[in-house]
Amino acid sequence: MVTENKPVLVLSGGQGEANRTDSFKWLLKTITALSRGSLSTECSLFLCETSLSAQCPKMPLSTHSQPGDEHYVLVATLDNVRNLSNILKAITFKDHAIFNATQNGLKVTVEDSKCLQANAFIQADIFQEFVIKEDSVGFQINLTVLLDCLTIFGGSTVPGVTTALRMCYSGYGFPLTLFLEEGGVVTVCKINTQEPEEPIDFDFCSTNVTNKVILQSDSLREAFSELDMTSEVLQITMSPSQPFFRLSTFGNSGNAHYDYPKDSDMMELFQCTKTQTNRYKMSLLKPSTKALALSCKVSVRTDSRGFLSLQYLVRNDDGQICFVEYFCSPDEEVDEE
Amino acid sequence: MKCAIEGSNVKAFGKAVHALSRIGEDLWLDPLEKGLALRAVNSAHSAYACFLFSPLFFQLYSLHPGTQSPGTPIKCKLAMKSVLPLFRCLATIERNVDRCEISISTEESRVICQFYCRHGITKTHNLSYQESEALQAVFPTNLCPNVLKAQAKLLGDIVRHFPASQEEITLAVSPVRVILKNYYEEESDRAKVMYTEMSLHPDEFDYFQVGVDSHITFCLKELRGLLSFAESHSLPVRVHFGSSGKPVSFSLDDMPLTATVVLATLDEDASAPPSQTAPSQIGPVHRCVGAPSVPTSPRGTLECGGGEKEPEEENLHVAPQGGPVPGEERVLSSQASPVFSPALYLRKLLELPKPPPAAIVTAPGAARSSHTQHGGRGGVCLAPPHGTSPDACTDYADRAHGDRACLCHVQDGRQLYASHPSYCQGSRAPVWCPVRAEPRCQSVGVTQPGMCQRH
Repeated sequence: MVTENKPVLVLSGGQGEANRTDSFKWLLKTITALSRGSLSTECSLFLCETSLSAQCPKMPLSTHSQPGDEHYVLVATLDNVRNLSNILKAITFKDHAIFNATQNGLKVTVEDSKCLQANAFIQADIFQEFVIKEDSVGFQINLTVLLDCLTIFGGSTVPGVTTALRMCYSGYGFPLTLFLEEGGVVTVCKINTQEPEEPIDFDFCSTNVTNKVILQSDSLREAFSELDMTSEVLQITMSPSQPFFRLSTFGNSGNAHYDYPKDSDMMELFQCTKTQTNRYKMSLLKPSTKALALSCKVSVRTDSRGFLSLQYLVRNDDGQICFVEYFCSPDEEVDEE
Repeated sequence: MKCAIEGSNVKAFGKAVHALSRIGEDLWLDPLEKGLALRAVNSAHSAYACFLFSPLFFQLYSLHPGTQSPGTPIKCKLAMKSVLPLFRCLATIERNVDRCEISISTEESRVICQFYCRHGITKTHNLSYQESEALQAVFPTNLCPNVLKAQAKLLGDIVRHFPASQEEITLAVSPVRVILKNYYEEESDRAKVMYTEMSLHPDEFDYFQVGVDSHITFCLKELRGLLSFAESHSLPVRVHFGSSGKPVSFSLDDMPLTATVVLATLDEDASAPPSQTAPSQIGPVHRCVGAPSVPTSPRGTLECGGGEKEPEEENLHVAPQGGPVPGEERVLSSQASPVFSPALYLRKLLELPKPPPAAIVTAPGAARSSHTQHGGRGGVCLAPPHGTSPDACTDYADRAHGDRACLCHVQDGRQLYASHPSYCQGSRAPVWCPVRAEPRCQSVGVTQPGMCQRH
């Protein structure tokens, strides 16, 4: 049972065909996960209970509705939890995230200092089962703890062996319950939720977009990895004429410019209506490189106020498409031209 | 200056920058008629490297591109940490970069380095530079008694046996054998040190000439950059050296480029008879630090010099740029400035009065410790030439020596020292500095009078 202040780890032995070697391996992984800082600080919010399944060693978690599900307002199951955890890793630059689930799927939002917002969209059809009983279900949760739970079995090194997830939420005031299973070992995690904050509305609408380009992520990834980190800002210039699309840094040793011409192979779409130069704080954009690393394409848009929207197209393990989006406000010092 | 490098040469250029980065923290760019020279020197002035790219290396090489007025091409110094990141990932460069253009723009005071990559992507880096005198070391290799030439692979295989952390190694040659072993200081815990010694037959070398049995100890770390460059291009490396205390030069020669690394060597007991320094002995022989060292054997000192003319009697100052100093050896350098020649001072040494006796440290252990502090490296002064007045020196911001002192802070081993007794931090008895003709505090001073003292 949950006790308010102490972490509780309950292990019950199973007498079935569960493989003991696997269970020891799992035990080591769990202890490692618990010893990591994020879990121990959240000990009052977290309970981990495991049982070695005696009945169904292969796949105890059923992807179909279980009896007793009626009180959940949200149930989502995935055969491969990495389809969720990988995307969430791309937006983990702050501890807390706002979850918002609708009929369409799950949207996870992370914000930083009111200047940066990252959203991850996982559509309903990515999940093997996605049941939502209300129009919109929202809560705030510690993203670091959630990720640690989702990856509690560690990285799956054996091909074909995946960790299954069943995520259940009973509604306002209830914790988020995660059932994770791998190789016959089941872990139940209950993470406390908080009152959801309203995410910032950057008021970025397509009608206001002045410049838009879509690039293949490979080339941008290289540029971002070479960016001079001593520069405080990243300047993005987009123009219908030379230099078309330019990333500039102003560091200690001098400045650097990365130019992408509009007819480059890497440029999938080029729609620039007017010349715009905007600067964004490098520290704000740095987390976006995680999303860039996962993605295959990225769309860069700026609107008339100089706000930046980066949209990343991410393919998960099963080839399905998810989106990650970053909104960033321009650095106030420079007025847009 | 403007030049353009195509294709795989960009990677070679990048590799040269990597090799130079192992030596020093600054990169000197010197555009010359005969090519573009990239140079580096370490802070202790005990290692110098130069990569000279002839105009053939470049797709385009122009000292005075169109708009620039003809005159002396600008020489500049860049911080290695600004240049190295541009060439950091050589595999990516090989894959992506089609062409690299480097130009020096005096109007903007910038070195502009542009990479034209695949898919039409262009990367432009504008780096700020410091105008500087050219850096050049004088080392007449044709006068070295010992010459070895080996394939890069052989040398690479040899150094691979030494741990990556090994700082210094000793190369001992005799007409029948070449031995390489790691150099250790006796104070270090014998139980923790792994001794490695390799013995090679002269036949393994492409060219083998030993005029003088010698064993020299030099820093391996600084050499690794050149060796890895040589291995990647499968070039043979020539080694020129003499007796211990004199610098050793490693050079390689490929049609469009030549590279040289000159390292100072540890100064062993100059008066020790050759038999004591036979290659079979483990560990070099150290001398007592207190004893002033005047080279007694006539063979060593004059050979390394080059000038036949008598040096000017009193004036040991390096003349300011422009006017040639009569009698002083001049080495061809682009700005026609006199370049320091160690031979000048070594010769002068023999004419000076005998220095007063200094405290002699008799305990071998103590001698060792002070020896290591000072390093006792003799050899060529590698600092750029400068004027007589401290203010004329623009290269070194460190004026810790004071206004009377030499500003090049030529260093002994790795120990920075001041040339003025008032800067002495220690309590050792002074030794006589033959060059300045005054006492020099030894704890922060020179152990080898032949050390360059540039004033």
